Amino acid sequence: MKLTVNGRERELEVEPGVSLLSVLRDRLHLSGAKAGCERGECGACTVLLDGQNIYSCLTLARACDGRSVTTIEGVSNGSELHAVQRAFIAHDAVQCGFCTPGQILAAIALLERDPGPSRESIVHAMSGNLCRCGTYPKIIRAIESVAGDA
Amino acid sequence: MPNEPRKRYVSTIVEVEGRDERKVVETPAFDVPPWSEQEQLGIVGTRATRVDAPTKVAGRATYTSDVTLPGMLHAVLVRAPLGPGRVEQLDVAAARAVPGVVDVITAADLTRPTKLSGILLFDPAILYAGQPVAAVCAESREAAAAGAAALAPVVPSSRPVLDPLVKAANDDADVVERGDVERGLREANVVVRREYRTPSQLHTALEPHGAVAQYDGDRLTIWESTQGVFRVRDEVARALSMPRSAVRVLMDYMGGGFGAKNHAGPHTIAAALFAQRTGRPVRCVLDREGEQIDTGHRPATVQQVTLGARQDGRLTAIIADTWVALGAGGWEGGPAQIFHQMYSCPNVRTTERFAYTHSQPMQAFRGPGHTEGAFALERALDTAAQELGIDPLEIRLRNFAARDELKDREFSSNNLRRCYAEAAERFGWTTRESRRTAASSPTARRGFGMAAQVWPAGGGPPAHATLTMHSDGTAEVLSGTQDLGTGARTILAQIAAESLGARLADVRVVIGDTERTPYAGNSWGSMTTPSVGPAVRMASVDARGKMLEAAAELLECHPDDLDARDSRISTRDGARSITFAEVMKRIGNVMIAGHGTRGPNEQKLGLMSFGAQFAEVEVDSETGHVRVLRIVAAHDVGRVINPTLAESQLEGGILQGLGFALFEERMLDAASGLPLNPTMHDYKIPTLADTPEIEAWCVGTVDARANHLGARGLAEPPVIPTAPAIANAVADALGVDLTEIPLTPWRVLAAQQRRRQQSPS
Repeated sequence: MKLTVNGRERELEVEPGVSLLSVLRDRLHLSGAKAGCERGECGACTVLLDGQNIYSCLTLARACDGRSVTTIEGVSNGSELHAVQRAFIAHDAVQCGFCTPGQILAAIALLERDPGPSRESIVHAMSGNLCRCGTYPKIIRAIESVAGDA
Repeated sequence: MPNEPRKRYVSTIVEVEGRDERKVVETPAFDVPPWSEQEQLGIVGTRATRVDAPTKVAGRATYTSDVTLPGMLHAVLVRAPLGPGRVEQLDVAAARAVPGVVDVITAADLTRPTKLSGILLFDPAILYAGQPVAAVCAESREAAAAGAAALAPVVPSSRPVLDPLVKAANDDADVVERGDVERGLREANVVVRREYRTPSQLHTALEPHGAVAQYDGDRLTIWESTQGVFRVRDEVARALSMPRSAVRVLMDYMGGGFGAKNHAGPHTIAAALFAQRTGRPVRCVLDREGEQIDTGHRPATVQQVTLGARQDGRLTAIIADTWVALGAGGWEGGPAQIFHQMYSCPNVRTTERFAYTHSQPMQAFRGPGHTEGAFALERALDTAAQELGIDPLEIRLRNFAARDELKDREFSSNNLRRCYAEAAERFGWTTRESRRTAASSPTARRGFGMAAQVWPAGGGPPAHATLTMHSDGTAEVLSGTQDLGTGARTILAQIAAESLGARLADVRVVIGDTERTPYAGNSWGSMTTPSVGPAVRMASVDARGKMLEAAAELLECHPDDLDARDSRISTRDGARSITFAEVMKRIGNVMIAGHGTRGPNEQKLGLMSFGAQFAEVEVDSETGHVRVLRIVAAHDVGRVINPTLAESQLEGGILQGLGFALFEERMLDAASGLPLNPTMHDYKIPTLADTPEIEAWCVGTVDARANHLGARGLAEPPVIPTAPAIANAVADALGVDLTEIPLTPWRVLAAQQRRRQQSPS
């Protein structure tokens, strides 16, 4: 199968039943997407599939044939971080950091769809990404700061 | 800076989460002058961004489950399907026959019998459903899982005992009593008697427990997601009968802990044994179900509380008879202590009965004991206030504890009244009635509540640090502590930069390595800042002295005429200066290092953090649904090293308290003991949609008697008062009594039903 990962096309032999998360982490050594539950509950595995945020643990790799995946490793422009990454640093929307790649990708997808999201839109779009450290107030502020700059 | 000779080792009392331990500790080689309230600090106290945030947002932080080594095998634990009972069948041959399976470990394969959290590892005698009975390792995780399925343990089980009241009915109680509670009750004008219940709460860190082990013939290296690298080292060394010095434990980044990751677990020992037996690296990371059913919990409690109060609200008696459902093991952490230390009362009696029930062992969960006790105490106090017609804030002020009445000692500092005042002001406590009618629908009811908190957070020895200057003029701080996500790396860098006179960007903090970093204890008990922080400051002061001496030689002046700031050393008149980089370059590749030690605390002094939280809620009187609109929190933790990180800690604690108040409850099937909600779908933790407006801050004070930083701990305090503040607000909204959390719609509606039956309208 063919998969474009962070702009680079990859040819892969993948068994049926293997998740996209597993391909990213175990085959391509992109460990930014995390396995928090592997049952579509926590969002730590969030990546972008053709720009949409998805749970890569519940997505079969084979179903992504010919499509484009962006992981946290692919959102910065060289050494320059994405505006959402910078906002997460500036607003301390990071504690342990385990959920952070998924949170950032979900926020990027939201801001792509809706550059000026209301508080309700942020709540709706980000509620599928759990954070046990409790960074939610700071995540809201980080996203609003990027939206405000747009 | 050395002083007159002093005794290098002294015996002292160290308090961890309220428990006193006597230890012999190293005394600091010289006195570090305390940072006073007036101290002009340029880095400590600022809102520096988290030093490791760039690594984390880029997805480059390496967590244990990201450690991948060549030829690595994958291990899984095999769990008893039911309990209690005895493993009657375990088909090791079938597991070994599964393609890809490399090795299987059962109790017979252990180096020696090993107890973890009070449970014998892989013991065929099963105490609870989910207890590990074996481990399988294989070329892939899938093959290991297939091998585990083939083992198919059979455990004929009997009915589990889960109710702490049944299990501990005849057990000895831990009784702590002072004064005469019976006399206190006779002196009371009002007596409140209630039975409160709190649920078993699961830590639910996003990163499950896990270990990667590598064995090279006589040395073992373990990467572990842990709050205590040295403790894990000691436990692994013991289990494998290896010298401690032959085991190295590493922890760089971890995805949360909250108390569940203080020890080596079955996964650690399994990974280590497999690595030793196969000669290949082994990774063993729990799946989510394993994480939820077998890594610890905040034990459920039953608390029968009696409060006596005079007409003016002053407490005359507090009685708390408590039962704690520990599970099959863990340590005996109960709710009693807060009943003794939160308020002033001459007559207090608490009993704790610890019930060893047929479920997973407990582990400390953020603010253990106090969080459970605060719910009962603060609900009972609100009920007394209501019966006396006294405002909830007023009754707390009237019972303010100016000293530690339990241990008959002073507090190092106590600004709880300032917390009450600042938070009440910001919340609009006195004007709250004007907001009651602002409810968003005809069935919605607005309510207001508050609660307070006390927590031992002084830290203490032992903790050590070194600071080494690199030849490029940057500094490296080494200390064997951990950063769970709290920001320890950042605040230690701030303390070091401030004390050394360096730019923050020139300081790197290296933690979590039993081989390369000096000893520091577990990151528990809100201890890291007040324990490791002073050691880091001392190491930095030591190194700074040496830098100034080297610079004095280069600048041809006396070290006393020099000062260091922004990684530059200048004469006090500003005429001459030299950068750290230049000093290090000119003196060549020599070592400038400082060593720091955490000295003992002043004895007979209560080192406590305090706080007050106010909650505004809206409750739907038809559905019983509770929405928390706002939490206002003010905490007294002494000097704040970084206000932004402190606020993040407060917000995180408040959100875990909100989950405890509203929906977090581990459910077990009464007949089988099977966990009914072992997933994050069925066990709810707060999402962003549950997040209220949170205004949380630390009142600006310096605790000069606590240590030479003036700082106490703050990680655990914020979780303690949140649930009672919310419950008090819900009770206020509906005019009901609430004695059990979480406040599910069902419980809220039942409380309304009880009220209607009591006073038909």
